[in-house]
Amino acid sequence: MSLEVRGLHAGYGRLAVLHGIDLSAGEGELVAVIGANGAGKTTLLRALSGLLPVTAGTVHLAGTDVTGYGPEKLARTGLAHVPENRLVFPSLSVADNLVLGGYTRRRGPASARAEARDRAMALFPRLEPRLEQAAGTLSGGEQQMLAIARGLMAQPRVLVLDEPSVGLAPRLVGEIFSALGQLRDDGLTLVVVEQNARAAFAVADRVSVMDRGRVVLEGDPAALSTDPRVSGGFLGGGFAADADADAAPAAEAPGGTPVVPRSGSGATRATERT
Amino acid sequence: MTDLLQLLFAGLSQGAVYALVAIGFVAIFTVSGVINLAQGEFAALAGLVAISAVGSGLPLLAAVVLAVVSVALVAVIMERLVIFPVKRMTTLVSLILTLGVSTGLKALMLLVYGPNAEGLTPLTPGGFSVAGVSIRYQELWILLIAGIVSLAVYWFYERTLAGKSLRACAEQPVAARLVGISLTKASLISFLIAGTVGAIAGVLASPIFFTSWESGLTLGLKGFVAATLGGLISVRGAVLGGLLLGVLETLTAGYISTGLRDAVAFLLLIIVLVARPAGIFGRSAEARV
Repeated sequence: MSLEVRGLHAGYGRLAVLHGIDLSAGEGELVAVIGANGAGKTTLLRALSGLLPVTAGTVHLAGTDVTGYGPEKLARTGLAHVPENRLVFPSLSVADNLVLGGYTRRRGPASARAEARDRAMALFPRLEPRLEQAAGTLSGGEQQMLAIARGLMAQPRVLVLDEPSVGLAPRLVGEIFSALGQLRDDGLTLVVVEQNARAAFAVADRVSVMDRGRVVLEGDPAALSTDPRVSGGFLGGGFAADADADAAPAAEAPGGTPVVPRSGSGATRATERT
Repeated sequence: MTDLLQLLFAGLSQGAVYALVAIGFVAIFTVSGVINLAQGEFAALAGLVAISAVGSGLPLLAAVVLAVVSVALVAVIMERLVIFPVKRMTTLVSLILTLGVSTGLKALMLLVYGPNAEGLTPLTPGGFSVAGVSIRYQELWILLIAGIVSLAVYWFYERTLAGKSLRACAEQPVAARLVGISLTKASLISFLIAGTVGAIAGVLASPIFFTSWESGLTLGLKGFVAATLGGLISVRGAVLGGLLLGVLETLTAGYISTGLRDAVAFLLLIIVLVARPAGIFGRSAEARV
């Protein structure tokens, strides 16, 4: 297993959000984690990548026990996290965002860095002509592509993504997810947290459904998509609600405005969601 | 006309000192949101260390290097002792903490170096006169070195991986951690930069403006105003803000009244904060450092 999570508990201070999560993803497998708002999906990813302390349970990355590692060490060990809302570095150029994505590999061989960059460019050719542009001037979809490309620059074994479809038009959602499928076919392990169940089901090898900090269902996407518990209960309206979300024009105007929300200065700029 | 040129020149060399102090404010604020009220004390301490080192027989250049290195060290120690342990730093908390450090440093300087103001030996004594404008060599040194240091800092942030990683921390701290940049290391480096530029400002200014245990207060406030003119997040803005403030001050002193000199800075600060809080040279609020 590339990623193996056993009995994971985590939360914010005294507020426990995750109550014993089990999750595994093998090499070249794409696992989707779906669930309604507040199910604990983002918290799960934050705990996986070391942004939140794990209070109980274990995380293994390619056989190594990485429980309790901080984000810097985890990045070096081979886990890349593409955060919610993309969080590109807005005043830095696209090229610099990519360079910083490979920060943990800065002392590694230049050929490996160049290869990671070529692969990211091949995956998202749209970024190529924009390399010198400030990342904040990209459209929402391009920023999402950049955020994924930046994650790939860390040459990860496991890539975890937090709601890559949020705020994007359906066409772009398709583009992003087919890129994720391609990465999976190349042998990367992916864990994708999504509210857009339809998009996630289309590419996932396996699906875990979360509800109130627990994994309540697990299995094959084809079987789960017809499960009434999924469409009815756990997604809080489920597929129907997603259809509405897709119909709404997303923040993806041509040459559009960046959709990354910016807050003021100060030490806490994290988007904290459960 | 000669008067104007004379005032402009004096203003620029004064402003160059403010610019260096302002860079220190920007370096720290962008990374951690900390406003370092001890920034002026870095300059005063460097001046006093250099003066006493020269007094005890050290060659001038060695004394200057000693002063810059020891103040950079003080800044780094300050970060580890006062900033690093705080779990949830806010700008307000940082003001209180750094005010404490500033007061402590002032007391220490008074204790060690006594109450008198002194000037460091100039790098090159004397001066010359062109078209009726008298220029001291030290003023040329100030402009030259402040220019080189500003360019070096700018280059660091724009061109080096370490500089870009500091900008990344400033813009998206969470994403910076996720790509493997250590925020605590970034904060430490920002204090190292601030201590170094502050110390250079202090030793450059001392031969002309003199240094005492309390000269950090005014210098720090002026540097803060200069940084604010530039929006507090831009090295370029800080340099322009420093030069503008220096020129406006000497023009006011020359044409209106010397007594109003210090009032200019605060008048300017109020106007900018009311009318253009993002700074007068502001690109956008997005573009940090």
